[in-house]
Amino acid sequence: MAIEIQKDNRLGNVEQRIVYESGNEMAAYAAHQINYHIMGYFPISPSTEVAQFLDLMKANGQHDIKLIPADGEHGSAGICYGASTAGGRVFNATSANGYLYMLEQMPVQSGTRFPMVMNLVCRSVSGPLDIHGDHSDLYYALNTGWPILMSRDPQAVYDMNIMALKLAEDPEVRLPVLVTQDGYFTSHQKRRVMTIAERDDVLKFVGEHPPQGFPDTLDRNNPITVGPYMNEPDYINNCYQQSMAMYKAEEVYDRIRKEYADLTGRDYPILDMYRMEDADVAVFLMNSASEIIKDVVDQLREQGIKAGSIAPNMIRPFPAKAIAEALRNVKAITVGDRADSYGGHGGNMVNEIKAALFTHNVKDTLVISRVYGLGGKDFYAEDGHALFELAIDAMNKGAVEKPFDYHGHTPGDPTKKPERVLEPMKYEELNTGLITVTPNEETGKLKVKIPPLRALTKKPKRIAPGHGACPGCGIFSGLELFFKGIEGDIVALFHTGCAMVVTTGYPYSAHKATYIHNLFQNGAATLSGVVEMFWQRKERGELDHLGLQDDFTFVMITGDGGMDIGMGPAIGAALRNHRMIILEYDNEGYMNTGAQLSYSTPMGHRTSTSNVGKFQGGKVFHHKDTAQIMAATNISYVFTGSESNPQDLLKKAAKAQWYAQNVGLVYGKILITCPLNWLSDDKEGTSIVNSAVDSCFFPLYEIEQGVTTITYDPEAKGKRVPLSDWLKMMGKTKHLGKPEYEETLHSFQAEVDRRWTQLKAKHEHPAL
Amino acid sequence: MAQQLPKVNELGFFEIRLESIGGLGANLAGKMLAEAGVMGAGFNGVSFSSYGSEKKGSPVKAHIRFCDMSTNIRDTSPVERPHVVGIFHENLSKTVNVVSGIYEDSTVLVNSTNNPEQLKEKMNLVGGTIAVIDATNISLEENNRVNMAMLGALFRLCDFLDPQIMKDVIRKSLEKKYPQAVAPAIRTFERGYDEVKFQTFALPQGVEMPAFVRQDTPVLGYETQPMGGTIVNPGNSVLKDLSISRSGMMPDFDEDKCIHCAACDNVCPDFCFVWDEGADKRGRPQMFLQGIDYQYCKGCLKCVMACPTEALSDIRETEGYADDKRVAHRHNFAAGV
Ligand SMILES: Cc1ncc(C[n+]2csc(CCOP(=O)(O)OP(=O)(O)O)c2C)c(N)n1
Ligand code: SF4
Ligand code: SF4
Ligand code: SF4
Ligand SMILES: [Mg+2]
Repeated sequence: MAIEIQKDNRLGNVEQRIVYESGNEMAAYAAHQINYHIMGYFPISPSTEVAQFLDLMKANGQHDIKLIPADGEHGSAGICYGASTAGGRVFNATSANGYLYMLEQMPVQSGTRFPMVMNLVCRSVSGPLDIHGDHSDLYYALNTGWPILMSRDPQAVYDMNIMALKLAEDPEVRLPVLVTQDGYFTSHQKRRVMTIAERDDVLKFVGEHPPQGFPDTLDRNNPITVGPYMNEPDYINNCYQQSMAMYKAEEVYDRIRKEYADLTGRDYPILDMYRMEDADVAVFLMNSASEIIKDVVDQLREQGIKAGSIAPNMIRPFPAKAIAEALRNVKAITVGDRADSYGGHGGNMVNEIKAALFTHNVKDTLVISRVYGLGGKDFYAEDGHALFELAIDAMNKGAVEKPFDYHGHTPGDPTKKPERVLEPMKYEELNTGLITVTPNEETGKLKVKIPPLRALTKKPKRIAPGHGACPGCGIFSGLELFFKGIEGDIVALFHTGCAMVVTTGYPYSAHKATYIHNLFQNGAATLSGVVEMFWQRKERGELDHLGLQDDFTFVMITGDGGMDIGMGPAIGAALRNHRMIILEYDNEGYMNTGAQLSYSTPMGHRTSTSNVGKFQGGKVFHHKDTAQIMAATNISYVFTGSESNPQDLLKKAAKAQWYAQNVGLVYGKILITCPLNWLSDDKEGTSIVNSAVDSCFFPLYEIEQGVTTITYDPEAKGKRVPLSDWLKMMGKTKHLGKPEYEETLHSFQAEVDRRWTQLKAKHEHPAL
Repeated sequence: MAQQLPKVNELGFFEIRLESIGGLGANLAGKMLAEAGVMGAGFNGVSFSSYGSEKKGSPVKAHIRFCDMSTNIRDTSPVERPHVVGIFHENLSKTVNVVSGIYEDSTVLVNSTNNPEQLKEKMNLVGGTIAVIDATNISLEENNRVNMAMLGALFRLCDFLDPQIMKDVIRKSLEKKYPQAVAPAIRTFERGYDEVKFQTFALPQGVEMPAFVRQDTPVLGYETQPMGGTIVNPGNSVLKDLSISRSGMMPDFDEDKCIHCAACDNVCPDFCFVWDEGADKRGRPQMFLQGIDYQYCKGCLKCVMACPTEALSDIRETEGYADDKRVAHRHNFAAGV
């Protein structure tokens, strides 16, 4: 983080510095000043940068936070929960589906009363995958029992992060606190931000250590039982305590924000009211849009309209009374919800505001509800004017014409309706008959014959050109080479990741064959459902009309990251042995979200969460051996492959298809190049994976019915190269050639040698 | 004390939009420009780039707003009405309306070897000032990055910023780790600054500047979009033109030297190789490589590396070459396409 520093002492009574940074940077900056003990995290846009910035600062020795890359958000929440029971300070950041994936843990954390701070960088949770900002994730947080602080800009992100910890740890509160900011609008826009110059001053404010007197799981002299089995009649009382603490949080927050205002000169009252003193009409919005609307208020005021805006800095506890009072003399208000509560006649905020008005006997204020800005749809000043128009109109008419609607949706031009562009591929063309697979009667193993590669150029490619991958991306050459070995029709499921994102940017799709996406923790389960439905419907004769000449080959495509977070479902599907293929393309990281480490990232490799600096030299633990893990499920066929050895991969594809159609689940892993994040020359892609194979980092082998065969042995061919030959081809590993990283390289080489030796033993002894 | 901004919009902002493709360093240039204004020149400001999963080679935008210290920054929407546009790759104008929303006194900076008149045509500019800089060539000559030359030119356009600030920042950020990179970077920046050429095209009498269309306007809508986001015309990515993803180099095919081994086809990530069935010398059916469909070629050159003969070679792309030599895929289009 290139924080350029200027001193500024104008406000408050603490030394401050101005930086020019984004919301994510400010969340990380506050966390590093607080020097939390632990951050358990898992990458998801747009919050990922928080962990990245912290990792970069860690590599430069700027803090001591232990950053733990979890296997998924559920895991990250578990790490954070455990760490918080153990008495230290805990931090996390997430968004959208990541938040929902950990949702089940949220009431556990609050219900057992262990404080921590988490940043929710708000983003849409959706079916068709939308990674941009709205409040649909945030609205799920409303019932979790966490106080929720709002930050409308990067400055507020910094300030709220400091106040949040103090609020969470307050003896009268003792609850985990959520700090929210708008994904991209706030998280990625850079602004001037004032920060407290010295860490000591931050610690003086939040307390150098968490308040004493609360039990923790590391106090050997006072053993405790955390999270007992508690049903009625006791549970309701636990909830009552929690409810009391939550309402108390409003008061405590109000005290803390005043202390903070004295310290820094920046005040965040529970309601941020702009020109509301005499307002006739108002708009209620949250976070970034609540700033834009102030410009609109100014413009309307110039026209003589008494406009005002109101935005909460805290929505749990909900400041119901304050809002009702603020609206008592307002004639009409439009409430904009940046997420729908489908079927609720308005989003969560409008309904809570209506309830507040009713409760506090404010009867004459007209309320209009509009859902706006979904999935990152921008909020322009003109949208703010439109929302005010509705309020003005209601005021003039004394009635609300349309209490609930969307704003910003478009009908579309009927002449531009999507029409089929390509004819479906022909089965006869996909089934070339050029590849034959026959079981050997004696051994039971498969014999495969493939034609010269030239002949297979006749087979249509399942993926169309026009996808948006980076130049030289290895995913698509790898996948299509594999598909060349598959005859007939496929149904593909792609996990979230680069392959999915670059092939399906709406309204385009590069998939000529039928394709499904599900999030990368759950594809294996999803495809098992498709597979079993196929067999069900086929057996019931419901597919007869299609005249299928052959069964589909069901293929799940996943990245290496999908085999981290999705490991459980993949193993489940393997143990159930559905007739499908799981093909993993391993690019050694979470590339789609900006190259964070995955468990498959090798030791010492630089990623955006395993930075290289004075205090850290890339990833600190060894790469995952996913093929061996999957082999341990005893499925009939496991393989590895690479585009550097095309015939080898094609044969394996053909075998994979046979097993997936006749026996059960197949798992395969191909190593592919990501020139963008490996910091390598586009044109070197094939050579790099070739070196990875020749160095025995990525051995080519198969495990057929439990028996291991090395299908290409670089040693036997006299082609084996040291790891360093491979590593020097990529910018991400250049540093490993330097003397200070000798130990890392050595450890990496030793691990590769150990695995290779073991593999050779398995190859030699069918019983292993 | 800060200089005055030459012009501002109704909210008090001087606005800049950069149009580029991922990988050319426009985001970084935008960030450096904004930081120079905010941290170095005493303005207030905000900057951001297009967000999402845009990969290298796809169109991206960067947005910068400057204002004086007393102006509130509340707007987070993209820059729709720029005072300055910086176009890092002139062929972007094929697929993106790069001059969208400009004023008649806006300046449009283009990285190009063409002259302003040609660019006025190509960019569909009705009125305004065209500024040209051959940033690609400067960067090749100075062995530095395109964005440094563009940054130099942008400083020339933003004359309220002192180029010395930027040069100091370049020096400071490079001299510790890469001292040998300081001089070329500064030279590239300076040449960018010095070598811009301007030409103003007055808005013709009776003609109005085209109104802008909001960047968040979709083609489909709730009445035309199939339910659930399902795409019912998959494979439609073939309609896209990806040639702007190439950054200078392209493969060239010499049929005479081709042995039709398919090594190129196996490694091409973008499925550019076009094959057809023919008869070999003995009259048996065989596949023959016809050529390259440059509409999809991103210029990675993996195929050149894979080719065992000299049938594929890498060449610098010249205007029109790809169009002339393109062998188009014969997609099996549905009726009516
Ligand atoms: C539950 C959940 N957590 C996180 C994400 C964000 N996410 C999307 S793709 C991705 C990385 C995928 O990595 P990998 O499977 O290796 O594929 P690659 O991007 O490298 O192709 C992440 C972290 C998500 N979509 N859902
Ligand atoms: S980031 Fe890497 S894996 Fe993703 S599209 Fe680009 S090259 Fe391919
Ligand atoms: S790799 Fe070279 S020789 Fe082989 S088919 Fe391609 S162009 Fe022809
Ligand atoms: S350079 Fe070659 S391999 Fe790369 S996209 Fe173009 S044709 Fe394909
Ligand atoms: Mg990956």
